[in-house]
This record gives sequence, structure tokens and C-alpha cells, in this order.
Amino acid sequence: MKAAAFDYRSAGSVAEAVALLAEGETRVLAGGQSLGPSMNLRLARPQRLVDVKRVAELRDVAADDAVCRLGAGWTHAEIEDGAMADFSQGMLAQVAHGIAYRAVRNRGTLGGSLAHADPAADWVNTVVALGGTLVVQGPSGQRRVASEDFMLGAFTTALSGDEVLVAVELPRLGAQARWGYHKLCRKTGEFAKAIGVAVLDPGSGLARVLAGAVEGKPVTLPQTAERLREGGPAAALALLPEEAEARLAHLAPNERALRVVAVRRAIEAMAEG
Amino acid sequence: MQVNLTVNGRPHSLLVEPRTHLADMLRETLNLTGTHLGCEQGVCGACTVLVDGKPQRSCITFAVDCGGAEVTTIEGFDADPTMTALREAFSAHHALQCGFCTPGMLVTARDVVLRLGETTEARLREELAGNLCRCTGYVGIVDAVTAVAAGRQPQAQQAVVATAAREAAPLLQAAEREATPTLMPAGGAMLEERVALAAAPEAAWAALADLRRVATCLPGAQLDSIEGERVAGRVGVALGPIKASFAGTGSVTLDEASRTGKLIGRGRDGASSAEGEVGWQVLPGAGGGSTLVVQLSWRLTGPLAQFGRAALVRDLVRRLAQQFAANLDAMVAGQAAPPARPLGLFALLWGLLKARLLGR
Ligand SMILES: Cc1cc2nc3c(=O)[nH]c(=O)nc-3n(C[C@H](O)[C@H](O)[C@H](O)COP(=O)(O)OP(=O)(O)OC[C@H]3O[C@@H](n4cnc5c(N)ncnc54)[C@H](O)[C@@H]3O)c2cc1C
Ligand code: FES
Ligand code: FES
Repeated sequence: MKAAAFDYRSAGSVAEAVALLAEGETRVLAGGQSLGPSMNLRLARPQRLVDVKRVAELRDVAADDAVCRLGAGWTHAEIEDGAMADFSQGMLAQVAHGIAYRAVRNRGTLGGSLAHADPAADWVNTVVALGGTLVVQGPSGQRRVASEDFMLGAFTTALSGDEVLVAVELPRLGAQARWGYHKLCRKTGEFAKAIGVAVLDPGSGLARVLAGAVEGKPVTLPQTAERLREGGPAAALALLPEEAEARLAHLAPNERALRVVAVRRAIEAMAEG
Repeated sequence: MQVNLTVNGRPHSLLVEPRTHLADMLRETLNLTGTHLGCEQGVCGACTVLVDGKPQRSCITFAVDCGGAEVTTIEGFDADPTMTALREAFSAHHALQCGFCTPGMLVTARDVVLRLGETTEARLREELAGNLCRCTGYVGIVDAVTAVAAGRQPQAQQAVVATAAREAAPLLQAAEREATPTLMPAGGAMLEERVALAAAPEAAWAALADLRRVATCLPGAQLDSIEGERVAGRVGVALGPIKASFAGTGSVTLDEASRTGKLIGRGRDGASSAEGEVGWQVLPGAGGGSTLVVQLSWRLTGPLAQFGRAALVRDLVRRLAQQFAANLDAMVAGQAAPPARPLGLFALLWGLLKARLLGR
């Protein structure tokens, strides 16, 4: 199928993109790797697209000892290849490598994936697992949104129609940090059936465990994370089934089991790593 | 729109509609029919070409988005030594039969050979997973690529952007929220959602029995007519970039004694059609309030039937039910329902269609 007709504009800056969005009936086009299929299937019929691929600000990188800020415009493939100095002890590169296929990764962007807010998307779950912050720009300037507050539900975010996702801020993981990321899917490059993430950084005290969703917002497991911080992977694994039972009660048993397996494998991978 | 780009080393200045994807421009305008189209949703890889040296899907790349780009299609590799080696190896190892996947497969294989050099079979298969071949069973393809990659070094790494010194604000600490498990029973083709209403059962039921008023509580819904049991209306749906308007008709039955109602409806948006049944019941709830039980079942006919991602639908039901309950409560309390973002009942069914994009 072919996309319905639309107008195309290319923005040179975030401010220009915001101004075009404010005129209404306009959506951001980043890599087009989610928008393209939706438009070809005519599930999406935007009247106008504003392309942000040439906006240099969306490729800024900045960091200090604690936090690294990555522009929304970096592609999955660039992150996979380590185009920016690693601050995640290899986590981002591995997550990026598991997204779709190289040809899709060469176009699809970090920001596009987060703004699209597919519950099964890898960045959606990774950024929440790391407790990141999203930087958003609208007509009245920039605001910062905690990753847990960004996604409201499947394909729905805190972005209003005239805002552009500019950057993502993520914690710098120290040399002692351990992480595990496990994506369950039947075929390489598919969206996940379940995602488990575990992160422990003794240096900063960061400890997070996440049962990535496929239906709605990712679910964090704070008690299991606390056990991870206090007693390490074995202690976390001992508590996991109980907390998962309580926090994932809304899922069918088979779906909950998949989720628990993904988290368990993530914690086990962390123990081995 | 005018787009200036280079294709296989030759500059072109072409007039295209914004909605034309790169593959259609290559095939229809430039007659470069070596680029094949299979799925047009990024999954099969038949349309893979190089854009600025990197393999990309030409079916989900708009031509207008390629201004200034250098595009290389399968027709542009005649003098390329790696591609020559791959072509010969594909022939020697029987790596093609009908040839439909071959142009995309070769473009991908060339990138893998250059980028990774010699690598393991497992990695090779992973890298080739985005190119579907329905004929060969992949064994010949993997053998061919392995043969060409043998003894090669990976490409030199690109320059690395430093992630150094700046003043960074501390990360926002989002309060860890308590998950709120619902009473929904597991699995099945039917979903049930229960929401607490502040209104007493009598008031809640009276409000629910007035369909015109109920419709105003359903986000995105509009009731056009009621004739006896027959209702007609439409439901607007917005899910991310996806927008649809389902026009539908249905029949409603209400049972005062048990405070239950049922709507059987049928909706259509373009080629997609769906049938569904919604049942609701008002039960006495805690503290003089009531509990609204909503049950939903659906049947999809035609090409839609093969798609489904129940978990996603459940999240939508939950959000819809919560929004509906908040609006209903406000209405019973005499306040105007706040204008909600369109998220309709048929969003649930629409979610299934959307799942086609996700079930890849
Ligand atoms: C075959 C295939 C397999 C895939 N598999 C996976 C997978 O396994 N895991 C995974 O995570 N993803 C997967 N994806 C999706 C892929 O990661 C997309 O690249 C990503 O979801 C969207 O990024 P994009 O840059 O292409 O955004 P686009 O498609 O351009 O945009 C997506 C949405 O976000 C909005 N948007 C984009 N950028 C911004 C911004 N800066 N500010 C505000 N709004 C913005 C757009 O308006 C649009 O609504 C797959 C895609 C395909 C085609
Ligand atoms: S036609 Fe482009 S990936 Fe299938
Ligand atoms: S050779 Fe027929 S699809 Fe691959």
C-alpha cells in the first residue's frame, strides 16, 4: 500500500520545527521507521510532516561525571557502533544492536522510538530502566520529564502536539556497574514479547529492575531492585516471583511468566557479566 | 516537490510527490526495477538499497527525504569488487532461486562483509535476518556470504564523539509508583474491566441508560441516531500517529432489573471492519458508590482476523474504562465531562489492526 498524500517540510532547527508544529495538523518525521510503515498501511494519514533529520541540535552530546545527554536524532546503528564515547558500560550498544535490522537501525532514531512509545520498543524500556530524563522543547521553551512520567500508555506520551523531543539524559554507569538486558522474541529483529532489565551501580547506588511491557507502560520492580542493591543478584532472584505476582497481576499467567523469565535472565546475565 | 540526488553515480533532479517512497521513485521514475518491493513495511528487506553508503529500506524512506543523498541500487554495483565476489559466490552456492529477495540480500550481504569481515555463522544469520527468502532456506546464502567474508578484516571504526565535560542537571527522580493491579480475570477472548464510581448504583444506572449522555462520556464517540434499539454513530481514534474514524451501527438492550446493558456493534473504517460486543453492569460498590463492570468481546473479519495482540488491547480497555468512568462520575455529579482525547471503543479493535505492524 502507499501513503496518503501529505505536505513535507524540512526543519533546520528545533525552534523551526516547533513553529511548524504549532500551526497544527503536523507531525515530526525522524527516521520514518515507524511512521513509514504506519503511513504505507494508511493507519496514519498525517496532513503534513516536518522532517527533523537535518537538525544539528538533535545530535548534540554532552556529559559530566554523573549524567550523559544524548540528542534525540542519533540512529540506533550509530549507538550500536559506539559513535559516542560509551558511558553505559556497553549497555546502550547492546540494546541498539537488538533493535530491528541493520537497514532499519541505519535510519531509526532514539528520539523517534521514544516518541512513538510502542510499549515493546527497546529504548522505551531501557530509558525507564535507567531512570532517565527526557528533554522536550515547545513554544515556551524546554522542559524535562522523568522517563516514568513520559509514557502515558501504549503509543501515548506526555508530548503535546507542538513539542519536539530534543534529548535523553541517562546516568553514567561506573566501572563497577553491572547490567543485564534480556529481550524475548521469536525471531531476530522483532519487537519483544517480553523485556527484562536489571541495573546495579554500586558507585552511584543506582539499582533498578524492570519488567518491560508489551501492552502499556513498563513496570518497575522496586523491591526486587532494593534486594539487588542490598544482597546482589541471588537475593533479587529470590524475591522476583513474589513481587512480579503482585505488580503484574493484571497480566494473563502465560504473559506474566514470560515477563518473569525475561527479568530472571536479565538478572542472571548481570551476575555472569 | 523537486529533489536533487545522485543515483548510481549519476545526478538527477526529479519532481516527486512527498508521499512517493524512494523505491517507487527508483522503479517508476528511473526505471531501476532491480529494487524489489515485497511488504512495504520494512520487514522483508527486498527493497534494501544504499543511501549514503548505508543499507536502508527504500520502501519506508520518502524520496523527498533523500535530497543531496547518494543512492546505490543493485544496478550500481557492476564495478564493485565485493559485489562481484558475492555475485559469483551466490551463483556457486545456489544462493538464489526465484531471485526476488536477491537484490536486497546482496546489498545487505555486501554491508555485512565490509562492516564485520570474517565472522561467525550465528552472527551472519543474525545480520541477514532482516532479508526474507522464501526459496532457498538460507543455507546457500549463508555459505556464499561466509565464503566471501573469509579472511577479511572489519571496517575501521568511525570517529567517536566525546561524552565529556558539561554542566548536567541531575536526573529527575520520578516517584516509584505502586502498581495498581486490577480485578480482571486472565486470558480469554473476552476482557473484563471493573471501575469504581462515586455515584450510587441507581444514579449510575440512570445515567448509563441514557445513551446520548453515555456517548458523551465515551472518549471520541459521537452518537448520530437512536431508533428503538438501533443506534448509529462514529468513534474517532487517535493512537500516536494513527488516526481513524469508525462509522458504526449497533443494537442496544438494557435490563433494568439486573442493571445490565449490552451493545452489539459493527464498525468500519475504509477496508477494515470489526464486530464487537460490549456488556456493562452496575453493582453496589464500597462506601455507597458503585462498581461498573465492563465486558468486551470482539470478532474481526477479513484480513484483520489474523492479527492480534491481546495485551495491548487490554491496556487500551483499561485506559478507556478509567476515562469513561471518570467522565460518567462527573456527569452524574452534574459536571460537564471534560473534553477527552479521542480514544474510542473501536480503538480496541483498531489496536488489533495496529498489531499488524507489531507482529512482525
Ligand atoms: C521491520 C522493523 C522492525 C522493528 N523492530 C524493532 C524492535 O525490535 N525494537 C524497537 O524498539 N523498535 C523496532 N522498530 C521500530 C524502530 O526502532 C523505529 O526506528 C522507531 O520506533 C522510530 O524511530 P524513527 O526515528 O524512525 O521515528 P519516526 O518513524 O520518524 O517517528 C515515529 C513517531 O515519533 C514521532 N517523533 C519522531 N521523532 C520525534 C521527536 N524528536 N520529537 C517528537 N516526536 C517525534 C513521529 O511524529 C512519529 O509519531 C522496528 C521497525 C521496523 C520497520
Ligand atoms: S518492501 Fe521494503 S522491507 Fe519489504
Ligand atoms: S530466491 Fe526466491 S525469495 Fe529468495
